[in-house]
Amino acid sequence: MINKDVVIIGGGAAGLAAAVACRDKGIEDILIIERESALGGILKQCIHDGFGLIKFQHSYTGPEYAQKYVDQVEKQEIAYLLDSMVIDITSQKVLTVVNKSGLKKYKAKSIILAMGCRERTRGAIGIPGTRPTGIYTAGVAQNLINIHNYMIGKEVVILGSGDIGLIMARRLMLEGATIKMVLELLPYGSGLPRNFNQCLSDFDIPLYLNHTVVDIKGNKRVEAITMAEVDHNGKVILSTCQEVPCDTLLLSVGLIPENELSKMAGIQLDSLTGGALVDEYGQSTVKGIFACGNVLQVHDIVDNVSLEAEHIACGVEKYLSSFLKPKNDIAIEIGEGLRYVLPQRIQYLDDTVFSFRVKKPGKKKQIVFKNDNRIIKEKSFIRVNPAEMIRIKLTSSELSDIKHLKVELN
Amino acid sequence: MKKEFICIVCPNSCRITAEYNEQQIKHIEGAQCKKGEEFIKNEIKNPLRTFVGSVKCRNGDYQLVSVKTNKPIPKKYIKQVAQKTHELVVEAPVEIGQVIISDVLGQHADLVATRKVRKKVL
Repeated sequence: MINKDVVIIGGGAAGLAAAVACRDKGIEDILIIERESALGGILKQCIHDGFGLIKFQHSYTGPEYAQKYVDQVEKQEIAYLLDSMVIDITSQKVLTVVNKSGLKKYKAKSIILAMGCRERTRGAIGIPGTRPTGIYTAGVAQNLINIHNYMIGKEVVILGSGDIGLIMARRLMLEGATIKMVLELLPYGSGLPRNFNQCLSDFDIPLYLNHTVVDIKGNKRVEAITMAEVDHNGKVILSTCQEVPCDTLLLSVGLIPENELSKMAGIQLDSLTGGALVDEYGQSTVKGIFACGNVLQVHDIVDNVSLEAEHIACGVEKYLSSFLKPKNDIAIEIGEGLRYVLPQRIQYLDDTVFSFRVKKPGKKKQIVFKNDNRIIKEKSFIRVNPAEMIRIKLTSSELSDIKHLKVELN
Repeated sequence: MKKEFICIVCPNSCRITAEYNEQQIKHIEGAQCKKGEEFIKNEIKNPLRTFVGSVKCRNGDYQLVSVKTNKPIPKKYIKQVAQKTHELVVEAPVEIGQVIISDVLGQHADLVATRKVRKKVL
């Protein structure tokens, strides 16, 4: 068994930022474990720009953003394993790692979960029909086109208007495919508004809200899909069914935090986020195991992943020096209009960044933090959108002497 | 005329309303920053976009090197730049920022690499 102070599972945006931040805090004995053959995670295939505007006030592409952190890891000589998969972790923080050289066990004082998320597939949303080739999730298509140089189809229908789907619409179009349409089940788009503008509007790609795919046809290859309108309850209106010839169906229908390992360690998950239930330092219900990035909550902007990872590194450092002493234990109550709030509980009453998403788009809204009936903080928004995560910081003085905390949208 | 734009400069995605006619922009409202106002002025006169794509790479640890224009170029040239990238093959190694095509289509922007590609170890 090899002893380590900090083991970070995943060498993507979250893991890299956490590693660099831990080293900046003086933690020497760090190991990043990455299952792919290069560091960088999903950023490697996100060749579009728009990364880093918050953190670096500059628009980078994904590979450039990742490289900034990889360079730091190399420069600071932070240890990492590639082509290595963690197959088990215990609540005692023992990790089993497998790679070409065999099985190894590590005992960590602290673990940072940074495994990211995966895509929902056709099976997850149960589209009826045959099972031909030509059905891809947007991220898989992105990997094939941007990393492996495989073109995936010629006539494409995209279901779901998540950001990766929109980015892929533009990419496929510029690589010579015809994008017939983007269908979205909800009455509003799921991606960032800027992506509807620069990926769809710029190329006259039609977007149909309140529409879905109800059938897939084709034996060897996709030959057509059937699209249909849905009513305000999301129920298919059969009279609107219409066949659309195409050879490819791309799915951009949501992301799921990848928490199989977290479950093995006995960590309690939040059914609203799909990630670990954490305190304000990202510490899970198993002491010493922290989570950040998309494994904790699905982010829309990588800058926030980096910021979250840097913040939890503070917690890891405090934990290792036994300074992480709970002062209280307050479960955050989720009020009207919000889908989730993170952290789910606060224990130290230090400065805390709360992040959350609204349930549906709205105009002229206020986010209110309340201790019973006393308003602790209020913030107004011209617009709110479920696609855009909201982050609000409460200072330790604002949080001092609270007994209860409720967040709501008014 | 009056039109609402969605700014693409940053993830805030500001909805910016502009009142303008063929000669001049009369009023811009809703931009949270100066860059947003600048974006709208361009959007009305000559919309600009950053091109992103990839170019084939020989003998590298990646088969493709991702590229971008180092400055936004007029939107109407985006498809032509994409066409250019399909015709090119570069040789590894490639560094981030390396110029792949200088002054692409005479639009005062270089097409630069955004991925580090090492020479493939055989």
